[in-house]
Amino acid sequence: MSTPSKFNLSDSTGLQPFSALVLAWMLLFAIPTQAANTPTLKLFPTTVLEDIRHTGSVAKEMESGLQEVISRLDQQQQLIIDSKCEEADDDPGCAQLNKQLGATYLEMLNIMESNLPTMEQAVETTRKSLAKRLRKELGNGMTPWSLQENLLGGQSGKQASQTRPNLRGRSGMRLSDRFSQYYKLVSNSSSSQGSSMAVIASDIYLDMEETSDLIARTRQEISRATLMGQLNQSFGTITPEMLEVVNGVKGILFGDPESEMPLAAPPTTADSTAYQSPLSL
Amino acid sequence: MNSTKVLITAALFATVSFTAGCDTQPVKANACIPPQGHDLDVAVSQSKSDLSDVCSFQFDAYLGRLMNIAESDPKPANKEKFSEFLLWSNQAGLLSKQQAKSIYNRYFNVKYVSLMGDYNNCSLTCPKQQEVLANMERELLDKERGLVKISRDTGSYQRADRLLQETELVLEATCTACSAN
Repeated sequence: MSTPSKFNLSDSTGLQPFSALVLAWMLLFAIPTQAANTPTLKLFPTTVLEDIRHTGSVAKEMESGLQEVISRLDQQQQLIIDSKCEEADDDPGCAQLNKQLGATYLEMLNIMESNLPTMEQAVETTRKSLAKRLRKELGNGMTPWSLQENLLGGQSGKQASQTRPNLRGRSGMRLSDRFSQYYKLVSNSSSSQGSSMAVIASDIYLDMEETSDLIARTRQEISRATLMGQLNQSFGTITPEMLEVVNGVKGILFGDPESEMPLAAPPTTADSTAYQSPLSL
Repeated sequence: MNSTKVLITAALFATVSFTAGCDTQPVKANACIPPQGHDLDVAVSQSKSDLSDVCSFQFDAYLGRLMNIAESDPKPANKEKFSEFLLWSNQAGLLSKQQAKSIYNRYFNVKYVSLMGDYNNCSLTCPKQQEVLANMERELLDKERGLVKISRDTGSYQRADRLLQETELVLEATCTACSAN
């Protein structure tokens, strides 16, 4: 004769429906879930989320203003190369082309100059708020071991490959598109995706660092170009410094096709029934 | 004549005694040679026998040879055999529990023993960030051996590989944030 289980919810002689409901509720919260084992990261409070969204829209405005002038710059540069002007300094046609190139370059700098303060402020705000969260949550709030446990997220196999974002690196797409993707990832996430959030937060933060650096370099270049304009010097040819700034702006705003590589391939599904050693950490 | 007989008898007795002495005390010169062959179970058994005797100082060589043998017949069950061998090594007093764990996890776990410590990342990991990452890269090679070449567990190896890449990214950001304080 079997002893009726106290916890048999289907037993009509046992618990009353209300008690059964309460018990089910208690059991639901008593059983440690996967998410409960992984500490929840507070990397993206509403303020940070809003900063990211704002930075994305500022980047979009800047892109739309610069797209036309940068494409013109590319065409002019190509024309100079096709016309072999690098070897014909005295040619009046080439001189004209070089002058146009210099003017377009200045135009690009002017557009950037008018957009930069807003962009710089948005980037700086996001960067600082993310730095604070990263320092608090991952830097001071975790040991190296808990960090890797969090990155693994207690997930394995199919679940991990489904929930992890497919990272693109920091230069694979337009800045505004990247922020749009970041915003979607962050705003649609649940707390159980803490591991992914650590990676996304790091990715955005490093993005902000690079963007800040580019803004600083661009502002220096604007100052230098303005000074040269004041000294009434024309831009005879595009200098390596100018080229670097143009490429930097293009790379960070419009993406670098050569860098369109994911940061890592998604993990292959692991067998959850695999052997667990008593020595496993 | 009698003296000659006595001498011969004495010489025979000495020879017999010498040979008998060799039989009771086997020479150990060849005992500490790690096992040969391709059968991991046999090799583990021989290793345990040797290591529990006078060859404990050769533990690393024996472990290395067992790994070589396991590589010649990779399968998921090998992971368990090494776990059992390391547990035995701990029980036999050859390794501390911590050493056994460290070896097992270095080769057969996704997580990195190179990334451990009791203090927070800002104070412990960031000051030696590059050293930690270099150690993790070396550990990934060992994981490749343990997980792929010995256990044929490519899924776990790829997770370990991804964990290293994510750790690199997250540490770069976190340590920059720590130093920006």
